[in-house]
Amino acid sequence: MPSEMLRTIPALLSLGITLALVPGMTADDLTERARKLHFSSLVVDTHDDTTQRLMDGGFDLGPRNADGSIDIPRMKEGGLGAIFFSIWMPSKVKGPEAVQRATAQIEAVRDQVRKHSNELVLATTAAQVREAHRQSKIAVLMGVEGGHMINSDLGVLRKYSDLGVRYMTLTHSGNCEWADSSTDKPAHNGLSDFGKDVIREMNRLGMMVDISHVSDKTFRDVLEVSKAPVFASHSSCRAICDHPRNITDAMMRALAAKGGIIQINFHEGFLSQEFRNAEKADPSINNAIAAEVQKRCGDKEGCQLIEGDKITREYVLQGKLPRVEWTKIIEHIDHAVKVAGIDHVGLGSDFDGANMPFGMEDATKLPKITEALLQKGYSDGDVKKILGENSLRLMSDVERVSKGSKPAR
Amino acid sequence: MRHIRTVGLCVFGCVIAAAAFLPRIPSAVADDISERAHKLHFSSIVLDTHDDTTQRFFTNTYDIAKRNPDGHVDIPRMREGGMNAIFFSIWIDGRVMGPQAVEKALDQIDAVRENVRKNSKDMVLARTAEDVRRAHKEGKIAALMGVEGGHMIGNDIRMVRIFADLGVRYMTLSHFYNDEWADSSTDKPTHNGLTDFGKDVVREMNRQGMLVDISHVSDKTFYDALEVSKAPLIASHSSCRALCNHVRDMSDDMIKALAAKGGVIQINYEKSFIDQAYKDAYDKETGGVVQHLSQLAKNCNNDEACISREMAKMQEKLTAEGKLPHVSWERIIDHIDHAVKLVGADHVGLGSDFDGADMPEGMEDASKLPKITEALLRKGYSDTDVRKILGENTLRIMEQAERVSRELQTQQ
Repeated sequence: MPSEMLRTIPALLSLGITLALVPGMTADDLTERARKLHFSSLVVDTHDDTTQRLMDGGFDLGPRNADGSIDIPRMKEGGLGAIFFSIWMPSKVKGPEAVQRATAQIEAVRDQVRKHSNELVLATTAAQVREAHRQSKIAVLMGVEGGHMINSDLGVLRKYSDLGVRYMTLTHSGNCEWADSSTDKPAHNGLSDFGKDVIREMNRLGMMVDISHVSDKTFRDVLEVSKAPVFASHSSCRAICDHPRNITDAMMRALAAKGGIIQINFHEGFLSQEFRNAEKADPSINNAIAAEVQKRCGDKEGCQLIEGDKITREYVLQGKLPRVEWTKIIEHIDHAVKVAGIDHVGLGSDFDGANMPFGMEDATKLPKITEALLQKGYSDGDVKKILGENSLRLMSDVERVSKGSKPAR
Repeated sequence: MRHIRTVGLCVFGCVIAAAAFLPRIPSAVADDISERAHKLHFSSIVLDTHDDTTQRFFTNTYDIAKRNPDGHVDIPRMREGGMNAIFFSIWIDGRVMGPQAVEKALDQIDAVRENVRKNSKDMVLARTAEDVRRAHKEGKIAALMGVEGGHMIGNDIRMVRIFADLGVRYMTLSHFYNDEWADSSTDKPTHNGLTDFGKDVVREMNRQGMLVDISHVSDKTFYDALEVSKAPLIASHSSCRALCNHVRDMSDDMIKALAAKGGVIQINYEKSFIDQAYKDAYDKETGGVVQHLSQLAKNCNNDEACISREMAKMQEKLTAEGKLPHVSWERIIDHIDHAVKLVGADHVGLGSDFDGADMPEGMEDASKLPKITEALLRKGYSDTDVRKILGENTLRIMEQAERVSRELQTQQ
C-alpha cells in the first residue's frame, strides 16, 4: 500500500476521529488487519523498569500480576516480542556499591530467563532477537540506565557487556562522573574526555549508546564521538511537551542524520504539556506523591515506581492532575516520524518506571498503537519499523561498527 | 625405594606400564630419561591450578606476551615450560569486603579476559575440560580463572552466578582472613567452619559447575565443605602438612578424606609450605606469612603487585643474609610423592602459586616445569601417572563438577 498517499488523508483530520476513511474498509476490518499485523511483527520495547521489582523480592515474571505493567502473560497478550530490562538505581548511588547493585540486577534478569526458559531467552544481537521470535519466545535484553554504574571503570563496562548488557544510558537524572544530565547543573560541559573514551569502548563492544536523560550538550558531544548510530531509548518530543528529558526537533534531525532512533516514552509528564504544566505549577503535588510513595515503599525502588504510578493516577481521578490519554503516544510518534523520518522512530515505553497514560496501563495495550498508526494511514511496513524493525536495524548497525565495518546504510 | 614405588604403582592398575619400564632401569642413563621426560612433558596437558599473575596485569611494566625479567609466568616461559593450561587467580586482600571487593574482582576478571583477547594467537579462554583439551589440540594455552577468596562475592550468592557466567571455574572459600561465611586456616574461627549461607554458596557453586577450592580454609571449613559439596573438591594450591607443618597445608587425614570423595590436592611450591626448616626460620624473621603480608600491604598501600614484588625481595634478602635456609625445588617432588603414596596418583596435581609465592631454587619460573616430569620418571612413576599429576586429574575433576552441575540443573 502506498503509505505516503494514505498518510496524507488522515493527517488532515484531528486525532481521535475514527475512520471510515478508506473506501470499502470498516473499522472492524482495520482492527482485524491491525491485530494480524501486530502479532506477526517483532515488537521491541527498549525501556522497562521491571527489574526493580525483581530486586524487591516476591515478584516473578511468570504469573499475571495484579499491578505494574509487565509480566510474561501480559507481554504475550500484548504481542511484545523483545524487551530491554533496565538496570537502574538513582544517580546518587555511586562507587563500588553502584557496581555491585547493577551486577546483582543483571543476575536477577538472567535468573528470570533461566527460570522461564520456555518463554524467555536472553538475546544480545539482532539475529538472536529474530531467532527468539521464530521460536515464539520473548527476547530479553538489558540496558544499563546511567553511567554512574560503571564507577568510571572501563573494565566494569566490559563485564556488563560480557554479561549481556546491550546499551548504556550515559546518565540518569544526575550527572555522572563523566557526563552531564539534562536534569542536573552542567559540570562537565557535556562529555568529559573519559566520557568520550567510554563511547569509543561502547562502540568497540557493540553496546548501543543511549542519549535519553543526557544534557543537550552531552548529546551533541556523543554524536560527534560515536562511530555507531546512537539512540534515545525512552524520550519523547520536546516540540509537543517541553521537558528537558525530551528531544528537540533539531536534536531528532541530528540523531536521524546519523542513523539513530528516538524511542517514544509513554510517561504522562513527557507526553502532555498540560500535565507537565500542572506538575510545575504546584510542586507540592509531586512532593505529596513522593511522601506517600515513601510511606508505602520505604526504600524499595521497584515498589516506589509502581506505587508512584498508582498514586499519580489517584490524583488524576481526584482532579488534582490532568488526565492524559494514550493517544498522546501516537501524537509523539507521528511528530517524530514527520521530523526524523519513518526509519528513526521506535517504542521505549518506560513501563514499570513511569506514569502511564489512560488506555496504556500495561503491555497488553500495545496492539492499540498498531491500530492507531494504521488508522492514521501508516503502511504495514512503516508500522513494523516503528514497532521494532528500526530498533533491530540499529542493533545490527552497532554490531557492524563493533566488528570494524560501517553501518549498512 | 624405587621398587617400593613401582609396586605401589601396580596397585593403581599400571602393571603393564610398570613392567615395561622395569627392565630399562638398570641400563637407563640420564639422557634416556631426559629424552623420555621431554617427550612426555611436551605431549601432556600441563595444567597449573594457581597463578597470581593477574595482579601483574595492573602494572604497566608487565606484558604477558613478552619474556619478563622478573616474576614467573608469561607466554614465552609458559611455552618453554610446556604449561598449556593456567588458572589465573582473581585475588584481593581478604580485608577488602563488600562492593569494593566485588568491583575489584570484576576488574581482575576483565584483565584476564582482555589479556586473553589481546593474545588470542597464543591463548584462549576455557571454561570446561573439553575447552582445555581443544585449546591443547590447537596449540594454544588455555586460560582459566579461579576466585581466591569468598569475600569477593560481597556476601551475595548472585555473584557466584555472575562469576561463573564470566568464566570463573573455581572459588577458594576464604583467603587469609575469615570472610562473612567461612573460617580461614590463618584467622581466629568465628563461624565454626561454614555458616548456613556458606553451605548455600557451596551448593550454588555445585550448580554452576564451579570447583570448590578448600586451600586456605580452616580444617573445620574443609570438613564442612566436604560434607555439603555434591562434587569433589580441590585444594588448588596446598602442600602436605606431614612434611611441613603449616596450617595452609593439608594433614594426611584431610588429604585422605579429600581423595575418598574424588578430590585433588594441587601441590603449592611456596618455600614456607614445603620446607619445615624454611618455615620455622621464616616465621621467626617475619612473624609468619599473614603478619608479613599484612605489613607489606601497609607498605604497599594495598597494591597487590607491589606486595608480591616486595615479598620476593625481602625473602631474597633474608636468604642472602643467611637468615633463611636454601630450599631446593626437589621438595616439590617430595610433596607430590608423599601425597601419591598416601592416596594414589589420581588425587594429586600442580598448583604452583607462581607470581604469588616465593619459589624454591631450581623452580624459578614456568620454564622449569619439565624438571618435575623428569624427576617423577626418575622416581619410577609411569607415563600415565605423570600425565595425571601434570593435568589429567584436574581435567577429570572439572568434568565431574560439570556433570554434577548438569544433574543439579535438570533436577530443578
